[in-house]
Amino acid sequence: MLMSCGRNQRYSSRRELLARAGYGLGAAALAALCGGTASAEEAKRPFPNFAPNARRVIFLFQSGGPSHLDLFDHKPELKSRFDQDIPPSVFGGQRVTGMVAQQSRFPIVPTRYNFRQHGQSGMWFSDLLPHTAKVADDICLIRSMHTEAINHDPAITFLQTGSQLPGRPCMGAWIDYGLGTENENLPAFVVLNSLPANGMPDQGLLSRLWGAGFLPSRHQGVQFRSGADPVLHLSNPAGLSREQRRTQLDALAALNRRAYERAGDPEIETRIAQYEMAFRMQASVPELVDTSKEPDHVYKLYGEAARQPGSFAANCLLARRLAERNVRFIQLYHRGWDHHGGLTEKLPALARDTDQASAGLLLDLKQRGMLRDTLVIWGGEFGRTVYGQGAIKPDSYGRDHHGRVFSLWMAGGGVKPGYVHGASDDFGFNVAQDGVHVHDLQATILHLLGIDHTKLTYRFQGRQFRLTDVHGSVVQSIVA
Amino acid sequence: MIGPLLRRLRTVTCLLVTFATAAFAKLEYGRDVRPILAENCFHCHGQDSSKRMAGLRLDTVAGATALRNGKAALVPGKPQESGIYLRITAEQKALRMPPVHSNRTLTEVQIATLKQWIAEGGEYSRHWAFVPPTRPAAPQTPWGKQPFDGFVWQKLRAEKLQPQKEVAARTWLRRAALDLTGLPPTPAELDGFERDAARRGDAAYEAAADRLLATPAYGERMAMEWLDVARYADTHGFNNDASRSMWRWRDWVIDAFNGNMPYDRFLTEQLAGDLLPKPTLDQRIATGYGRNHVINSEGGIIDEEYRVEYVADRVRTLGMSWLGLTLECARCHDHKYDPVTQKDYYRFYAFFNNVPEIGEDGRVANAVPFLPAPTKEQQKRFAELEARMAALQSKLQEEERSYRWKASHQARVTAMAAAAKPPGETVLHLPCEAAGTPEGIALVPGIGTACRLEKPTDNTMLGPMPISRRQPLTFSLWLRPTAADRDAPLLSASDYSHNRAATVFGSGIDIRLVDGELELRFGDRFPAYSMRVRSSGARVTAGEWHHVALTYAGASPKDNRAQASWVRMFADGREVPVTILNDGAGLPEAKNDKPAQRRFRIGWDNYPQGNRYAGELDEVAAWSKQLTPADIRAVFEAYALPYTLKNPNHPWLRQAALRATNKRFAQTEKALEQTQAEWLALRRETPTVMVMEEMAPGRTTHVLQRGAYNAPGEKVEPGVPEALLGAWPAGAPRNRLGLAQWLTSPNHPLTARVVVNRFWQQLFGQGLVRTSENLGLQGESPTHPEVLDWLSREFIDSGWNVKGLLRRLVLSATYRQDSAAPPNLIARDPANLLLARGPRFRLPAELIRDQALAVAGLLSQRVGGPSVYPYQPPDLYKGIVVAADYPGTSWTESKDADRHRRSLYTFWKRTVPHPTMAVFDAPDREFCIVRRSTTNTPLQALTLLNDPIYLEAARRFAERMVEQGGPTPESRLAFGFRLATGRAPDEDELHLLSKAWNQMAASYEADQQKASALVSGKASASELAAYTVVANLILNLDEVVTKG
Repeated sequence: MLMSCGRNQRYSSRRELLARAGYGLGAAALAALCGGTASAEEAKRPFPNFAPNARRVIFLFQSGGPSHLDLFDHKPELKSRFDQDIPPSVFGGQRVTGMVAQQSRFPIVPTRYNFRQHGQSGMWFSDLLPHTAKVADDICLIRSMHTEAINHDPAITFLQTGSQLPGRPCMGAWIDYGLGTENENLPAFVVLNSLPANGMPDQGLLSRLWGAGFLPSRHQGVQFRSGADPVLHLSNPAGLSREQRRTQLDALAALNRRAYERAGDPEIETRIAQYEMAFRMQASVPELVDTSKEPDHVYKLYGEAARQPGSFAANCLLARRLAERNVRFIQLYHRGWDHHGGLTEKLPALARDTDQASAGLLLDLKQRGMLRDTLVIWGGEFGRTVYGQGAIKPDSYGRDHHGRVFSLWMAGGGVKPGYVHGASDDFGFNVAQDGVHVHDLQATILHLLGIDHTKLTYRFQGRQFRLTDVHGSVVQSIVA
Repeated sequence: MIGPLLRRLRTVTCLLVTFATAAFAKLEYGRDVRPILAENCFHCHGQDSSKRMAGLRLDTVAGATALRNGKAALVPGKPQESGIYLRITAEQKALRMPPVHSNRTLTEVQIATLKQWIAEGGEYSRHWAFVPPTRPAAPQTPWGKQPFDGFVWQKLRAEKLQPQKEVAARTWLRRAALDLTGLPPTPAELDGFERDAARRGDAAYEAAADRLLATPAYGERMAMEWLDVARYADTHGFNNDASRSMWRWRDWVIDAFNGNMPYDRFLTEQLAGDLLPKPTLDQRIATGYGRNHVINSEGGIIDEEYRVEYVADRVRTLGMSWLGLTLECARCHDHKYDPVTQKDYYRFYAFFNNVPEIGEDGRVANAVPFLPAPTKEQQKRFAELEARMAALQSKLQEEERSYRWKASHQARVTAMAAAAKPPGETVLHLPCEAAGTPEGIALVPGIGTACRLEKPTDNTMLGPMPISRRQPLTFSLWLRPTAADRDAPLLSASDYSHNRAATVFGSGIDIRLVDGELELRFGDRFPAYSMRVRSSGARVTAGEWHHVALTYAGASPKDNRAQASWVRMFADGREVPVTILNDGAGLPEAKNDKPAQRRFRIGWDNYPQGNRYAGELDEVAAWSKQLTPADIRAVFEAYALPYTLKNPNHPWLRQAALRATNKRFAQTEKALEQTQAEWLALRRETPTVMVMEEMAPGRTTHVLQRGAYNAPGEKVEPGVPEALLGAWPAGAPRNRLGLAQWLTSPNHPLTARVVVNRFWQQLFGQGLVRTSENLGLQGESPTHPEVLDWLSREFIDSGWNVKGLLRRLVLSATYRQDSAAPPNLIARDPANLLLARGPRFRLPAELIRDQALAVAGLLSQRVGGPSVYPYQPPDLYKGIVVAADYPGTSWTESKDADRHRRSLYTFWKRTVPHPTMAVFDAPDREFCIVRRSTTNTPLQALTLLNDPIYLEAARRFAERMVEQGGPTPESRLAFGFRLATGRAPDEDELHLLSKAWNQMAASYEADQQKASALVSGKASASELAAYTVVANLILNLDEVVTKG
């Protein structure tokens, strides 16, 4: 048994306690809160199951479906096939979306961008990603991702929750549930949304993507926002100083303690502790999001856009600061990759938004020695079709959603650097080798955190659920 | 190929941990044995005959004890002779069960359990929840106020415990008021009740309960719970997440509770109101229950894939709402634990599979099918107007009956015709004269000459004219259809050449004649993303000339929507009502976009099979503006009157002559037109609600293999697992109505228990079965089975009387216990499973806000109506919602009292729920939830401390303390404390409050500016600021956010 400040030893079980307490406050944090140390019981926490490679995750999610064919997956032999039909044997049973269902044919459009090899590893990148190319030797590129979903909502929901339909907890919530927090002043799971620098985003996000599903709702991600109130309702109102707040909270705590003495309900003690944590967050969060003291050489890494609050680059910098404070799961969303038409106009700008900042984040983590135990993931919910959508020209085209193969990269946190896993076929259409299904990716991420994905379960409505459902196998060959 | 959701579906395999059990003295089959068999054996030796190995069945006693080659798997009392035990302990790998390849192994404890069970007789028992409840005799006990209290007392005695003392009267009143109305009692109510309770005892409690149950707030409180179950929301969900209009259904729920509708009717009307004989509007509105599910409008999804999900959602919701079973577990395979097969699942599914709905729908408005659902006030107004119209109508007919044509009328009518000036500025005009008639059209006699389509070619077109949803429009034409023209294109600029699955199928604009009525199709995609409006009463008859016209007002600049309700239709010069079949036209084009130039096919369309209009057309015209009804009348008369002058008996001529010569007729007609205009305007304002309907003929339902939409298997008929849950009622129809009758038959084992258990949960914080969503084999056992059964039986026998049941619960001794308890009791029973103390739980999200508003004196108590938009952080949606300007993607704060309505009226956006509620565990309502979690987090603290909603409440609460709390700081603080907690503070508490207030007052005295920043525009800012900080403190007290 453990719990708050020694006085109250009344939870029927550790599970009950955790189900009622605040954030997945680990015992260490709770103990620290109360000026004690973690109990022996807590040391027996079931996760991690084995020594983890990664202690935290930064997921740079690219919502909308970045085109693997124009960024990562080099198919030089397509150059000569402009406007040719895809061989039926390749097309197979493709489920086409309603957006191209009227097309009488599905003509190939090779990428208009040049690809080059980079680094010791000789990894191929298109010229749209010059900065990422420079960190090729830190990257583990998966060119054989695949998913069943063909539309945004189900595909993003699938990647984040393991199910295409709403209702399941997202990856960050699962990990928070499994591992708890290592920082008593900050939530364990933080979400940062950014808008594309140029133009409007297209597809919507959903707060369920960082929701807790059927897990207790405290495991949901806390959205950090750009602007005055980085966490909703964090700031005291005008006319109420921090000292006054302290005075008020002292009185509140004294009154709540009297209620506890009267009613004996341990929930009251938890509430007292949560008000204290709220008070600490009022100091720790503004300190965290204040990047003004970051030196210029850091901004050089992420790019000047990092000075623009709410930009992807600024959020990458924040992600590093969160990682430094041992926030467990840091989820970034960048939107605008849904290039059905005008891909050639929009993609370069999107690549610019993310390229330097993502590479900068890797470099920054690396030079701080944090890349070793921080897993960085870059990718979206699916790729895009090799066939064009609508009118096509060699230098102007659009592409539809494509889930049968796409690319995603990871770095740090125990994955093999400078390594390419899997391959698509000659058309970038199907997996040719070593396919990685969404559930495999999830299993691997959990594995890197020291969690056996088959053991991270939660009982809901009479059955045991897990992130990977009854599927998924760890992609051992990318683990360093 | 692999189906889309298939991988997910295959996975819903309900894996479970089994209990380690050997510790139990005498084993219980359901609790101890069945889970082991279910997990390890039933896969091959269970109810699923397709998977059954060696013909052995272990889930029934008959199967287990049957002799096979002279031996039985189960020989009661004799493990060493029982095949089960011999095989699970077999040395030989090849014989050992479960087999190696199954990846299942039994632990030593499990083997020991099975052995013990066989030794004890190997009894199978039926799961308690599948046996109809009977009323147990309530014991006579020294403690108790309701018969069922005796069971609680008996159990406490068995545990050597005493119930807690009765809670103070005022605390009971606060508890009951929050549970039954969601609002705290006022100080006056507390005073009155304390006096009454001292005087009359139980009678005072009964009177108070009756009073609470009679307030309109009761229906709101009850609805709040039900909205979670029925997954009510104001948006469709998924990434477009546009708004929908279901509040008429929500108000139906409030009314049903307030009217104490018997629960069997409450269930029946929601499940099958449309199938009742001559259903009323309310009964049809009630079926919105079946349509509250999420609906996906993401461009390009596969219709059937999502339609199947909607049907599946209905089955899941049915299972959770009323059966307390996880039916959805049997979607892909037979249920692993409950005796529900996959076929049973699809037989339930078949009841809900006949809705004329579309998978991809709901991008900008309600998805089909929907219904105009006028409010009570509107219904009253409709009735008044209709009575007036009928009276005027009969007056006109009287005048017409006595009418005789006179030669003098000729001149008057001719003059009228000449005076009728159709507006100019047509953008299209096909006069059907020799000049200007395109190729493919023959000129035939008509009104002068008329057009008839001979052979469509690319030239048999009219136009172009600019078409834009932003742009007002009018079309007018004369037609004389043939009997064959049942669905004929009159003018078509829609593109039907594509595959129906394509997102551009049917984009454009079409004017059609359908069964004698005029139909407009206008949008991006037919039918879901178009407005599709049909006249109702144009009655265009074959072989006769008729004039029809329609106008469209252009997108409303206010909400940037192209709404079907902006379409008006006219027949023979008079406006006729319209029916909106689809209201899904996309957003207007950008303001600066040039409208598309469209050419209209005259009398034909480009469906691959090609539809043709066989009758004649004349004087086809269009305007890029909305003509008035008077303009339309002029267009009509200019051609109608010269035409009918040849036929004095023609009703148009008769009416025109009467109009010109009979003042009474003209006035009456005018009055009728005005009344009708008002009636039509009211129709356009009428809200709609999505409802259930049955298609005729219905869809055929198949078992979907692995649950995949594109893998149909065996055909099934609607039906229920009768052997498990009771026989289908004799004579009941095989549809949703029959299903409702089955669910509400008095001996149904589950319905009443599930419902009673949820009401218990609402009052006691947790159900008698804590897993209120699952009373099946994997659910928890009831803590007090006799209480549950006694109440369930009582509920049914009382005529499913909800208020009666709740009254019993709040008056019971069990409920009236103090929730405070000594540490040793809390340590012994932390979850209060023994009911040895009263309930103490944090309030649900809605109640925390409603209480704060009530305490502050801000709460608006208006019941029902469209959802409202209280304060929400202005940039909350930024960076999250879809870029397109769909309705529901922006938040405009309500004005005045609507900012302070009860929280159940707050606009519920599924993908970005209101944070003030979400932070206190309100669900997003993407699917049915019967039990919320109750967490305790720092973000809740920040919300209560700093959310402008709670700050505003604190400011007003502070003013109220000053205004109503007497002369001194102490009296005011005590007044405030009592308002919020329902009790006076004790000396220490008052001291703490005063100390805090004094500190605040002093600091604000020293810094007046700061005080004015907190409380604006008040004279004694420093004192008021101090009260505001203390008011904020009081609203944050554990005791205030908790029902104790």
